[in-house]
Amino acid sequence: MSDFLLEIKNLSKLFHGLVAIDELNMKVKKGQIYGIIGPNGAGKTTLFNCITGLYTPEKGDIIWEGKKINGTAPYKIAELGILRTFQTIRLFSQMSVAENIMSGRHIKSNQRWYNGIIHTPSMQKDEKTNWLKVGELMEFFELSDYATTPAGDLSYGLQRRIEMARALAAEPKLLILDEPAAGLNENETIKLAQTIRDIRAKGVTILMIEHDMDMVMSLCEYITVINFGAKISEGEPAFVQDDPVVIEAYIGSDEDE
Amino acid sequence: MRQSYKIAILFLIVMGVFPLFSNSAWLAVGTTFLIYSVVAFSQDIILGRAGAFQMGQAVFFGLGAYTTAILNVQFGVPIIYTFIPAIIIPLILAIILAGPVIHLRGDYLLIATIGFNIIFIQVVQNNVFELTGGPNGIFGIDVVKIFGIEFMSQTAVYYMSFILLALTLWIMRNLDASKFGRAMFYINKDDIAAQSMGINVRYYKLYAFALGSAIAGAAGSMFAIQYSAVSPEAFNVVQSIMFFTIVLVGGSASLPGVLIGTFVMFVLPEIFREFATARYLVFGLAMILTMILRPRGIWPVKFGNIPNYLKKDKK
Ligand SMILES: Nc1ncnc2c1ncn2[C@@H]1O[C@H](COP(=O)(O)OP(=O)(O)OP(=O)(O)O)[C@@H](O)[C@H]1O
Ligand SMILES: [Mg+2]
Repeated sequence: MSDFLLEIKNLSKLFHGLVAIDELNMKVKKGQIYGIIGPNGAGKTTLFNCITGLYTPEKGDIIWEGKKINGTAPYKIAELGILRTFQTIRLFSQMSVAENIMSGRHIKSNQRWYNGIIHTPSMQKDEKTNWLKVGELMEFFELSDYATTPAGDLSYGLQRRIEMARALAAEPKLLILDEPAAGLNENETIKLAQTIRDIRAKGVTILMIEHDMDMVMSLCEYITVINFGAKISEGEPAFVQDDPVVIEAYIGSDEDE
Repeated sequence: MRQSYKIAILFLIVMGVFPLFSNSAWLAVGTTFLIYSVVAFSQDIILGRAGAFQMGQAVFFGLGAYTTAILNVQFGVPIIYTFIPAIIIPLILAIILAGPVIHLRGDYLLIATIGFNIIFIQVVQNNVFELTGGPNGIFGIDVVKIFGIEFMSQTAVYYMSFILLALTLWIMRNLDASKFGRAMFYINKDDIAAQSMGINVRYYKLYAFALGSAIAGAAGSMFAIQYSAVSPEAFNVVQSIMFFTIVLVGGSASLPGVLIGTFVMFVLPEIFREFATARYLVFGLAMILTMILRPRGIWPVKFGNIPNYLKKDKK
């Protein structure tokens, strides 16, 4: 058994001939905060969509805890303990904050098929356990004041927190964050970095895409840089930061930091 | 208690005393209203909650009615023993029929389910297995007999329908406060997010179809008892369109909304019967205006149904 939680091997993903991911290799260690960076359109989100089963890669393998998982349905990926947030927020916007977070408890809930029709004492206990867990997460993310507010009515920063709370509700082994700081102000970003550290301290491995370089460099222990779908550099922040290839890629693109 | 449950209970009280103040004609309208409300809720589980564009709910309503009629008239099975088959047969058929089309989205599913409805009507009209009585349907369905007591009066049938609706409301309440009801909302609102949270979209859509069809089947059985007859036109595509419209006009996933929808679409035309077909002009207009002015229905669903110990909103 390797000490890698997630391994990506020679992964390629094409869209009608356009190479979105090109022979990509990477390995995420258990307990790491792992960063993915790269210019717009580099293929970062596409990579996350492959890992979470939304896309099926044309070539290569995705190995989770030593087992190949490419082609697995997204809901089964979640059951394996891989949970994510979205770059373009995907909340159940008409539903309340608490109900949104409750969706993360779905895979932890042990209700039987007939419990949708008839309630039993064990089912009610299960409901209560799950709602209490939602309550804890609302405390942790400072969302309790908005428990019954429709998620779609809240600010960007709050919505990003709801998405994280929802993913964490499923007690993931790997939490995948797609640009968690996008749209946040400076204070919110600082707070977010601390939240991510707190989550990792609970034993959750984190894989994140982020454009905010200060945040990535201070938070991540290991970084892979992607451009045009291919890896152009990898290593610890200090190394990646000064790698001429990386600097070139960012200057060459219209990336505005 | 949640406001919509209070309204549902108030509604049940009003409907409970309704027979005391009504004549025979209105009692018949009231009974059909109760039965149609049950069908509307069954449609709401599939359309309003799971978000599947099912435009053939009359098929399962009809299957329940025909099951009771055929078992009773052709095979002499006492009515009360036909209830369970009238629930099980639509349920099984729903899973078989929905299985291959459940992944279709919106308009595609809509067309496929209309197709089911057209085939269903063809089958019963052509008396395919010499069981359905062709275009005239089946007459002479028995009255309900339990322990030798006959429940044949109009009032008895009314109260049986009333119990069926009360049971349906109770199931809706249980569904709402369960993993299953919530999963339906999640896949309806954003199926990509729902899948990413570990929700098997196909399973919960089929669950909605199965449960919705079983309830529609029970309503069909009661409908056959009310009229002691069944005939194809009671279950054609126009009826399916009515159930579909009831949910959207009243308010998807809203208990008061679905009841109001059924009232507006079925009882109001009865009240304005003297205006003959002109009343349908008003209806068409009402449907159009609701969709423009209140796109989420006359009484939209309100989310935020969470335990009180989590409610700390300052507001
Ligand atoms: N579903 C799709 N169909 C076709 N092309 C796609 C699809 N998804 C992504 N692409 C293309 O793949 C490439 C990589 O896109 P992706 O969203 O992965 O980039 P990204 O690195 O996440 O960029 P950003 O930083 O802007 O979020 C782009 O050229 C994009 O247009
Ligand atoms: Mg992206």
